[in-house]
Amino acid sequence: MKNVFGKLTPYNTIIHRLDPRVKMFALIGLMVVCFLPYGNYANRFIILGILFVVILVLMAISKCSFISFLSNLKSLWFMMIFLLIIFVFVPQAGDTSSYHPIVSFPNGYTIYYEGLFQSLHVFFRLIMMIALTLILTSTTSPMEMTYALEWYLTPLRIIKFPTQIISMTLSLALRFIPTLLDEANKIMKAQKSRGVDYEKGFITKKVRSVTTLIVPLLSSCFSRSDELSLAMNARGYEPYSKRSSYRVLKLGTNDYVSILFIILVIGAFGTMCYFTQNVAGYDNFLYLWFNVEAF
Amino acid sequence: MSEAIRVENLNFSYEKGVETIKDISFSVAKGEYVALIGHNGSGKSTLSKLLCYLLPADSGHIYIDGIEVIEKNESKLRKKIGIVFQNPDNQFIGSTVEDDIAFGLENRNVSRDKMVELVHEFAQKVGMSKYLKKSPDELSGGQKQRVAIAGILALGLKIIIFDEATSMLDPEGVEDIKRLIMEMKKEDPELTFISITHDIEEAYISDRVIILNQGNIFLDGEPNEIFKQEELLKSIGLDIPFIMKIKSSLNKKGMQIPDEIKNMEELSDFLCK
Repeated sequence: MKNVFGKLTPYNTIIHRLDPRVKMFALIGLMVVCFLPYGNYANRFIILGILFVVILVLMAISKCSFISFLSNLKSLWFMMIFLLIIFVFVPQAGDTSSYHPIVSFPNGYTIYYEGLFQSLHVFFRLIMMIALTLILTSTTSPMEMTYALEWYLTPLRIIKFPTQIISMTLSLALRFIPTLLDEANKIMKAQKSRGVDYEKGFITKKVRSVTTLIVPLLSSCFSRSDELSLAMNARGYEPYSKRSSYRVLKLGTNDYVSILFIILVIGAFGTMCYFTQNVAGYDNFLYLWFNVEAF
Repeated sequence: MSEAIRVENLNFSYEKGVETIKDISFSVAKGEYVALIGHNGSGKSTLSKLLCYLLPADSGHIYIDGIEVIEKNESKLRKKIGIVFQNPDNQFIGSTVEDDIAFGLENRNVSRDKMVELVHEFAQKVGMSKYLKKSPDELSGGQKQRVAIAGILALGLKIIIFDEATSMLDPEGVEDIKRLIMEMKKEDPELTFISITHDIEEAYISDRVIILNQGNIFLDGEPNEIFKQEELLKSIGLDIPFIMKIKSSLNKKGMQIPDEIKNMEELSDFLCK
């Protein structure tokens, strides 16, 4: 697979070798942990900080490139500004009596510390989610993810949901991405040689020139899928009949250990979540940091 | 049963009134290597699809290894006849070489252990065992066609149709596939090949040539016999192989070249004597 998903690194670390189902489970588990509420902001930042250290360790084990992580974050500055505007500058709704103002304007519009913390908190969660997905995508090939997805969908077979067809469709789509990208490149070159300019011009002009790429690409897509269906038919593919599977996913010792580890992590953070629920209101640490005189 | 394919009074048309295949009858013996040549629109690709039941015939009968090509027998037919298409990309279904070879086996519900065994055996046979984990975009066109052939052989099919399987390959890939066909023929004399081709040189190495013209069988016979009829072939716009050209011009100069000479080396050996 070319650099479509851009990320699969060519190492063979322990995380690369893990079963994709385990990795998917870990991803979802850790994401949930990221999104648990941990009481007040001070607690939240400390606990998410611990979690972030765990994620950094995972990144180090999987030899995830830190540079690509940073470059992923670089595109987030817009998000950050957006979050800041939403949480800090848009007037707070609801009961704000316990909030701590930074600036108050005479017309009643106030900017609160809570807004700032809230946006930082959401941003922190986002960063961790990106780190987690980066670990998954840099250690798992898209095909492996399809197999894992198919496995997770198997319970749906009880209600006659065609999971095998879904996974076949997915894997065919993944299979054809490089082929179609190649084709798109060729068409683009052919159109450029006929004088189509994809780079310059106002946005409306750009959109118009993109249609010269999309239309031939779509038409070739259809003829390809036509031929593909013939080829599949000729090789005896019947979507609703029982098929055996060449790929068999098998859990090894490492996989069981990782499942245990993830369950422990979820358990630990779940407990922290439980015990921090009742200690609201003691955000002293953070306000001291921000030199609020009221504390 | 020594007949691999029998076609009786076959008719087919895509549009009403425009007959693509007109009342064709022929039969192919087991182990024969038949080249089907003709112009674009002469109906050769249509014929190949009719043989594999990818298209239903309008009238007439087709028997593949004694089994009639009708809807009821479709799954039986899939165990007899396989087809390699023109575009190597559009028939590569798996994400890697091994997945693609296993695709047909998965459809047959073959057990996994057996599948692994068969995949390795036939990858070896077509010389792709080094590339089992490669994805299609890392392979050349010829290699992809090799994988397609392995997928068919792994299913134990004895009749293989090549639907212009070499027309999108570079010259090296074409030679490669031709060589593979000859090797397979030598190894298993039961294998029947129908090669639909534009490549006159490829037709020349076959056992038998059928020329289609406007939905009819125009000529049918041994390549040597067929390609002697230079004028007749030129009348429907077909060329003759290079070696036949040399032979006929040598004949005009008064030299007698025996029919057994089929390639350039033999010819040069003969001339040097």
